[in-house]
Amino acid sequence: MSRRKGVRRNRILLHVALTIGALLMIVPFVWMIVSSLKSHAEITAFPPTWLPADPRFSNYPEALQFAPFGRYFINSLLISIGHTSINLVVAVMAGYSLARLPFRGRTVIFLAILAAMMIPTYSKIVPQYLLAKNMPFFGGNDYLGRGGQGWLDSYWGLIIPGAVTPLAIFLFRQFYLALPVELEEAARLDGMGEFGIFAKIMTPLIKPAIATVALITFESSWNSFLWPLIITTRDDLRVIQVGLAAFQQTDATLWEYLMAGTTLATLPMIALFLLTQRYFVQGLASTGIK
Amino acid sequence: MTTAEHRTVAAPPIARTRKGPARSGYRLGRDRRRAGVLMLLPAMIHIGWWIGIPTVATIVLAFTHYDVLAGTITWAGLANFLDIFADPIWISSIWHTLIYTFFTVPVAMAIAVVIAVLLNSKMRARAWYRAAYFLPHITATVAIALVWKWMFEPNIGLFNSVLDLFGINGPAWLSDPTWAMPAVVIVSVWKGIGLKMLIYLAALQAIPLSVYEAADIDGASGVRRFFAITLPLLRPATFFVFLVSAIEAFQVFEQVYILTPDGGPANATTVMTLEIYRSAFGNFDMSRASAQSVVLLVFLLVLTLISRRITRTDDDVQA
Amino acid sequence: MVNLSELNVGRRGLLLGGLSAGVLGLAGCGGPAPKAAAGDESGELTVVTPIFEGNDGKQLLEKLMADFTKQHPKITVRADYTSYSKLNEKLTTSIVGGKPYDIMIMGAGWVPPFATKNVLMDLEMDKAKLAAQYNERVLSAGIYEDKVYGLPIMLDTRFGYYRKDFFEKAGLDPAKPPTSFAEMREFARKLTVRSGGKLTRAGLDILSLDIRQVFEPLMWAAGGELFTPDGKAAFNSAEGVAGLQFMADIILTDKSEDFGFSEPLAATGVPIVQGRAAMMLGHNNTWLEFEASNPKLITEDKVGFFVITDERPALLQGGSMATVAARTKLPNAAKALATYLASPEPALAACEQRGNVPAALSSADSAYVKGNEAVQFAVANLEYAYSEGGVPNWLDIRGDFKAAIESVLLGQTSAQKALDELATKADSKR
Repeated sequence: MSRRKGVRRNRILLHVALTIGALLMIVPFVWMIVSSLKSHAEITAFPPTWLPADPRFSNYPEALQFAPFGRYFINSLLISIGHTSINLVVAVMAGYSLARLPFRGRTVIFLAILAAMMIPTYSKIVPQYLLAKNMPFFGGNDYLGRGGQGWLDSYWGLIIPGAVTPLAIFLFRQFYLALPVELEEAARLDGMGEFGIFAKIMTPLIKPAIATVALITFESSWNSFLWPLIITTRDDLRVIQVGLAAFQQTDATLWEYLMAGTTLATLPMIALFLLTQRYFVQGLASTGIK
Repeated sequence: MTTAEHRTVAAPPIARTRKGPARSGYRLGRDRRRAGVLMLLPAMIHIGWWIGIPTVATIVLAFTHYDVLAGTITWAGLANFLDIFADPIWISSIWHTLIYTFFTVPVAMAIAVVIAVLLNSKMRARAWYRAAYFLPHITATVAIALVWKWMFEPNIGLFNSVLDLFGINGPAWLSDPTWAMPAVVIVSVWKGIGLKMLIYLAALQAIPLSVYEAADIDGASGVRRFFAITLPLLRPATFFVFLVSAIEAFQVFEQVYILTPDGGPANATTVMTLEIYRSAFGNFDMSRASAQSVVLLVFLLVLTLISRRITRTDDDVQA
Repeated sequence: MVNLSELNVGRRGLLLGGLSAGVLGLAGCGGPAPKAAAGDESGELTVVTPIFEGNDGKQLLEKLMADFTKQHPKITVRADYTSYSKLNEKLTTSIVGGKPYDIMIMGAGWVPPFATKNVLMDLEMDKAKLAAQYNERVLSAGIYEDKVYGLPIMLDTRFGYYRKDFFEKAGLDPAKPPTSFAEMREFARKLTVRSGGKLTRAGLDILSLDIRQVFEPLMWAAGGELFTPDGKAAFNSAEGVAGLQFMADIILTDKSEDFGFSEPLAATGVPIVQGRAAMMLGHNNTWLEFEASNPKLITEDKVGFFVITDERPALLQGGSMATVAARTKLPNAAKALATYLASPEPALAACEQRGNVPAALSSADSAYVKGNEAVQFAVANLEYAYSEGGVPNWLDIRGDFKAAIESVLLGQTSAQKALDELATKADSKR
């Protein structure tokens, strides 16, 4: 009887601790929402106010009118979906290959893929720009990639360059490594080809990893700023974060609009996260990450 | 140390009737090698093109004097490297990066694994809790870092207002050379928990329930179970999370740049990527930026090799 | 079929190395543009602009472009909107990619570095004629080695603000702002208010602007210069040190402000507008902050301005200039567009959109200038304007000022030492 009480008390303590932690996690976000409902004068008022005296919901439509956010939203969506789908398909195959199929030089290639994560963005950005611009046969380029503008100002340039990430390959590799070799062998005994084993037997067992990579890839595309800005000169190809950056001008920042815009931009990601939660439920996969 | 003993397989039903001739021996090996190469090819081409070439270009540029504006390029040998290591700001940026990584990564990992384990058990509103802990990761750094700047403001920000209630005179946080880096670390830990938690959650899904059932029968308490069973089973995941987090921490840019523009009070939070950014786009000196990037790359490669040796993860499958 | 995984590492390295060298080589290809006959040019001009932001800005620029196209029917114009913070990246990629924008709107101080490297086209304009349209000080930022490379569109200035109501309460004459460093310090001491050890009102706020741009007008006011005419560092002279020492005195000796009390573009607001500072070294845009957050102060005439003065009066002038790329394929059309953007009407529209100061002399009488007191003040005092830069290595050295100045304000080093070190660095990069 007392043991059950103890368990109950532990549960309550657990919930309290988790709640406090969760609140600490979201305090800045709450502040963001609260600020988004204030007028500019109120945000910079002294002494500062906690809650807006008169919530200005009009900040939201005003922020949206500041720049063509409808267009930006569509672009962000296209790019994020593009990145996520390509990454999932390509990285899952690569991860499987590195984990379960033997061939010479596999470890070296794996280390090379790890190394690919180790060059900072600002060093890569100019060479990547040149590679996109000098893409042969696109945008008026000849076979050597000269003369035209290649993939600049195009959806190719926006989507393809960042579509496959070493992180995803690494993650899939680790998950595939942990799957038992017996499954493979059993399938092979039945005459299944390698690709069939991969597609029908092994991959369905790592659904949590797939959901994780989908979330990570979508988020990083959704919030990406530098590459979409560099690769485009036209406003109708730009993305949400580039639009939000317009609220940060050289001599002033339009706080209320920046906060409103960012709040809106975060909502789709929250929805996506909640939707993928069913893949993080015990019992779906059968073996651990190795 | 593998999980071989605990591999209870919930094997999907496979029809035991032969669908075709079983491959064996030489043909099998060749099939597998060919499949391996083919499945890796798209990724290799993509990464080789978009990351490999820029990496090689960076390494090559590090040994040149490349004048971006004039468009001239000349060989410089080791001049760039000698130059940067004679620069006290670069040396201190290496130090700052190490300190930043040393404090951010373990703390965020520790919190993340505990939260992941707690949020793995059946409870109501579990998804909402998880969403709350993941929220910092998905909110765009730009806006949320600005909110943190607000909170750290010495006179009217949240932190010092709360400290005031306890009668403590808070420091100037982001404007104080001693406290600027701790402030940045706090923000990074806050932001970094979500992704690590997600990966741990994914890894936890694969630990079979039978393991926990066995522990329950033995009467193990929650805490003991965590340290004796869960954590060891998560070791490979921990290796992965550690490596990826360290690589990410070494390359931190956005939050440092926004919280402490231009490197903090008297360069107190200047990290390596900030120096690289300054060289490349502040001074238009691509060669210098490339040399600095090569140094960063070497650090990370060494870190990877060391951690692989320490954990001795035998993660090469012997088929 | 080449199997990448079976290529040994050496061969793969060669392949990648060759590819990357090839890519870089191709990027460098492309010679100078052929000179087209005047008036005969047709095609598209590209403009990169850090001004004209947002939907408003875009509409304005598009209207200006439309007007321009009416006068030059064979030319179309396309604009790439970016922000000042990402302008460098945009310029770099476009230059390295071999296709620089025809018109680049850039800041003062950028012209000499870009001109020395032959990125900018000599506009071949008569300086005397230009001096009739623009204030000479203002023009100088776009001139290098006696050639005109940039035309000023708009200026932004830094000068002193003060709260007349706080002056009165402290027993100071609200019509007499400080006219020397000594007076600034004395007034600041009287105006500083601390309660229980905490600073509630700074006598003089020098931290709400980019710290380098606080130092510069003080240095000029003390009689110093950034560089000698042949490009050597001059800011570590006795006058320059006096300027920096003034800042150190305000923070460390007089304690008229605490380090960290404010910072540029703070979300918590501008102290002088909130009543948390009595004087300030501010931007002409600070006026807009008054208008948005505390307009009563304006209507009740509680805000005044002053030019920083010691040996001489000095205000800092930055600005956006229209420049033309040397490699443009439409030189005459580009020149015409640059001239158009800097001409009084379009420039005035751009200034209005951002609350900045028009560069053209004729704009001084416009309704916009008359309606914005801060802009009016700036226009009236442009004869005391100085701009930063002026040497080819400016972009290399400007970033190092902040850390040097801050280390002095934090008491880590002396003003003379900090400036001497900075000067050595600057001279080594000549």
